[in-house]
Amino acid sequence: MKATIVALVLLVAGALAPVIFAGQPYALYVLTLALCYAIPAIGLNLLYGYTGLVSLGHMGFAGVGAYTTAVLMKDVGLPFVPSLLAGAAAAGFVGLVVGIPCLRLRSHFFIVVTLAVGMILFTLFNNLDGLTGGAEGLPGIPRPQGFAIGPLEVEFRSLTGFYLLAFTVTTLIFAFQYVLVRSDFGRSLSSVRQDETLAAARGVNVFGHKLMAFVLSAAIAGVGGAMKVLFLRAAAPLSFELQESINLVLMLILGGAGYLIGPIIGAVIFVGLPEFLRIASEMRLIFFGFVLLLLARFAPRGVCGLAEAAYKKRFDREEAVGIAHS
Amino acid sequence: MATAILEQFINGTMMGSIYVLMALGMVLIYGVMHVLNFAHGVLFMVGGYIAHLFFFNLSGSYPVAILCSMVTLALIGMVLERLVFRSLRDNLRMQIVASLGLILIVQNGVVQLWGPHALQMRPASVDSLVRVGQLSFTVQHFVIIGVVVAAVTTLYLFLRYTRLGTAMRATSQHPEAAVVVGIDPNRVYTITFMIACALAGLGGALLGPLFLIFPQMGDAPMLKALSAIIIGGMGSVPGAIVGGLGIGILESMSTLVIPTDYRDTVVFGVLILMLLVRPWGIFGVRVRGEN
Repeated sequence: MKATIVALVLLVAGALAPVIFAGQPYALYVLTLALCYAIPAIGLNLLYGYTGLVSLGHMGFAGVGAYTTAVLMKDVGLPFVPSLLAGAAAAGFVGLVVGIPCLRLRSHFFIVVTLAVGMILFTLFNNLDGLTGGAEGLPGIPRPQGFAIGPLEVEFRSLTGFYLLAFTVTTLIFAFQYVLVRSDFGRSLSSVRQDETLAAARGVNVFGHKLMAFVLSAAIAGVGGAMKVLFLRAAAPLSFELQESINLVLMLILGGAGYLIGPIIGAVIFVGLPEFLRIASEMRLIFFGFVLLLLARFAPRGVCGLAEAAYKKRFDREEAVGIAHS
Repeated sequence: MATAILEQFINGTMMGSIYVLMALGMVLIYGVMHVLNFAHGVLFMVGGYIAHLFFFNLSGSYPVAILCSMVTLALIGMVLERLVFRSLRDNLRMQIVASLGLILIVQNGVVQLWGPHALQMRPASVDSLVRVGQLSFTVQHFVIIGVVVAAVTTLYLFLRYTRLGTAMRATSQHPEAAVVVGIDPNRVYTITFMIACALAGLGGALLGPLFLIFPQMGDAPMLKALSAIIIGGMGSVPGAIVGGLGIGILESMSTLVIPTDYRDTVVFGVLILMLLVRPWGIFGVRVRGEN
């Protein structure tokens, strides 16, 4: 019940953000960028937070989705929705091709393979000049076409318009995550994370579940990558390099892996906080490096984990007081 | 064609030697402590910068600069083990998170201290050439190969014949049993980390003069070393040596056939292939239920 209220408040606040930040286009810009990172972070959350697999090459999959969508919209002239779905499908397909052989590996090896796959994908983006524009990337990607419902004109060229689009896509992906995690399939994923052997003994197809989670996670990352290049109106290999994949893990750990809202909180903090505190861009990564060290040591479940612990502590005390009174 | 092959073979052996240093460090840490240190690449890079600092500002002697770089890195390793990795033992995912944090701190910290531009250092061994048939190489190529051979031999003798080396091997085989016979595991862990970091520093100090010293110089060697220890077999010292040299030679030779841009792709492709065919590596032992 409480969670539903929180979700509704966030939904309304998110939809009203253009009004809240009416005179501050920069704040809206930062928020839009944060949403573009929140989507792949949700994808990574399915994999890391719920299935227990670490991927250090996830922005590579985002890049596959981004370039697919970009080429389809720019060169083929396809509309937004089919392009985005094609991008997601392409990223998911690459996830499938990588996942089938590699998910049989033990955790250490799997992490290294994702790193290697991320590097290979980056090399391809950087060198397949005919398809991806090489190191210069693909400039001039069109924004999605607007449409009209009766008198209501919807366009995505302006910042506000694109923000609302990114917000809608993020909400849909979030809802997808919610449904997935609460389903039988999601519970089976958690059982795989907690104890693979036990899950297998209870009749869970461990490999099949891991593969499905990996493919969905890659496809969601692809959607995020596509939104990012549509927002920046250019696809460049540097958007999908190793450092970006590390940043994605950082956001997820910061927000709280294994919490539905974790990736969104993490992305907003990671993109927004340095702007808010006016930390020089060179110092922000050093700052977040220390944040990561502290999180690893003291708060492995991130901001959401801290909030949950604080909430529980207060709740327990109230309950104890209540018992004492009665 | 024969000269081209010889040229790439010597280049490959030189780069392979560097990978061997990195791979040995990572394999020691992994074998003894079961920590996968993704930050080893930035330590390698710091080794290059420290050598540069000592070479230009403090001593002017290249061998002294190399030694100082190793000592500094060993101290950094001690601090890292005590402050960061000790508390995260047996927690694979948080170790990786912490090493990602270290990468961010060190790489961007170096940019703050030395600036984003590449530094150059040219000791005499880079400017003098050795002729091999029609080819010529810098003396530094052979300095690297020679120093690495010496370092590997020393490490082998240390692990094989000294009390401390034996303690390290014992801890890697069975930590509890090592405690029973009176080995302090914390001391072994610290020393392992120091040796591994000193090897990374040596690598950076050796490669720095030949190429340039820049904040990302350790990224590729770290990834290659990671591939080397997996191909060689996790936790296997001979595996790290064979894997490192093999990868160095393979990537050099591959440039004869396919464009240089795809050199890294070849290495990672071989890595993935190896993981599919023989995930426990060349020298690794297959553990039941753990592949």
